Amino acid sequence: MKSAMEVKELQKVFGKNIAIKHVDFNVKQGEIFGLLGPSGSGKTTMVKILTGELSKTAGDVNVLGMDSSKFKTSDFKSKVGILSDNSTLYKRLSVYDNLKLFCKLYKAPLHHIDDILHDVHLYEERFKTASDLSKGMAQRVLLAKALIHKPDLVFLDEPTSALDPGTMIHIHRALQKLNEVGTTIFLTTHNMEEATELCDRVAFLHKGELQELDSPAALRYKYSDHTFHVETVAGERMVIKNEPETADQVRQLIANRQVKAMHTDNPTLGQIFLKVTGKELV
Amino acid sequence: MNIQRIHAIFEKDIKDFMKNMMLLVLPALPLVIALLYALTSEGEAELPLPLLYLIVGMAFSGITSAMIMTMMAEENEKNTLRGLIQSPASFVDIIVGKSLVTGIITLISLVASLMIVGIEPFLEFRVILGLILLFLFFLLLGIGIGLFSKTVSATSAYLMPVMLLFGFTSMVGTFGFAEDSMAITITDTFPIMQAIKIHDSSSWMPMVVIAIWIIAAAIFTYVCFRNTMTDD
Repeated sequence: MKSAMEVKELQKVFGKNIAIKHVDFNVKQGEIFGLLGPSGSGKTTMVKILTGELSKTAGDVNVLGMDSSKFKTSDFKSKVGILSDNSTLYKRLSVYDNLKLFCKLYKAPLHHIDDILHDVHLYEERFKTASDLSKGMAQRVLLAKALIHKPDLVFLDEPTSALDPGTMIHIHRALQKLNEVGTTIFLTTHNMEEATELCDRVAFLHKGELQELDSPAALRYKYSDHTFHVETVAGERMVIKNEPETADQVRQLIANRQVKAMHTDNPTLGQIFLKVTGKELV
Repeated sequence: MNIQRIHAIFEKDIKDFMKNMMLLVLPALPLVIALLYALTSEGEAELPLPLLYLIVGMAFSGITSAMIMTMMAEENEKNTLRGLIQSPASFVDIIVGKSLVTGIITLISLVASLMIVGIEPFLEFRVILGLILLFLFFLLLGIGIGLFSKTVSATSAYLMPVMLLFGFTSMVGTFGFAEDSMAITITDTFPIMQAIKIHDSSSWMPMVVIAIWIIAAAIFTYVCFRNTMTDD
């Protein structure tokens, strides 16, 4: 699979503070890549470097086949959508007029506005003034704004931060729909459930350093204690090691219809992050 | 430069302008002054040029500079400018698009005001060219200050000196300074004073001086815009 993004030995220094320390990673075309880290870990700095809002101190960055010198060109901007943590709407304008502006700036057909408003479940609110929207609605309009031109790659910096679960579900569905048509999504979050649900691969960023990079399932397996927790119909609870020697024991329990419940006890991404970095994902 | 993108920004700004009370009152300022002059100078054949240029200065500083300054500062303060910068619109598309509304409103208000007090002295090619150059100077100055000031409330602090120094320069003569005083010598090089000189001479020097002011304002604007484009 081709890479949508290649980051090699990336470093960013602000004065004496090293914000990004020699980071390497690739994002494949069409995948949802999650960059997880607590506040201040360097996630937003990373997004800003990858979108050309900040210059890098050292290293190589290549996004959609373009190096960082091209990040300010219309060609690059036309292929990328950005929802940053400080994106806002024109408060005096309606939802429709806000999207119409960006539709025209990206030279996208105007019917995209209605399509995207349906996707984020805001079609009925299209003539509402932006200042009258709830925080969740405004965030969905901002997402619509980032996707209005059907970009090849979308950067989403904390897209569901401080949103209610209902809005979060709407946003997740819109992102999954977008990914189904091949759009690459680069997502930063400190919401481990969101990362587990959405991301094909996640990377842990802590104090500017990349600590782990793999699929959520692979990471959970890697850091699990490799045991089964079995509860029998008789009420007995057993912890069985997940290894070839115990396979017969498990098979026997199932054959004898003795199993009431059986599950593995893999850690959550949040627990793994804590184990790897010693810091919680908040 | 892309016409479609310029039009998109213009369309957005005109809608925003119509809903912004703070900006809606600005075009009335030169009209009010023109009406006052017209009422108090009844019977006089023609107002003196410094008075006419007070209206011109009021239009360019009180509408052109103030309006674009407020619009840019609001975009900056509310972080919507970053959205425009992240889009494929170029620096020129954004500046031209945003300037169109300001230009049209200034033009309507200035022409209406001058018609009230007598537009005849301005109906000459060189004078009109001078007015266009003045507009560009005040526009670029406003854009630069709007980007520099970061918040809408901060613009009012910068607008006063702009109005007093560059908008009302033609009134310096009424303060009783000697002809060869430092104040007169310095303000004589200011854009409004140079525009008045266009009426009295056939020299192109006043245009050149105003053009130098425009270049200075353009450099200031470009530096401010470059700083806004990135977080470095």
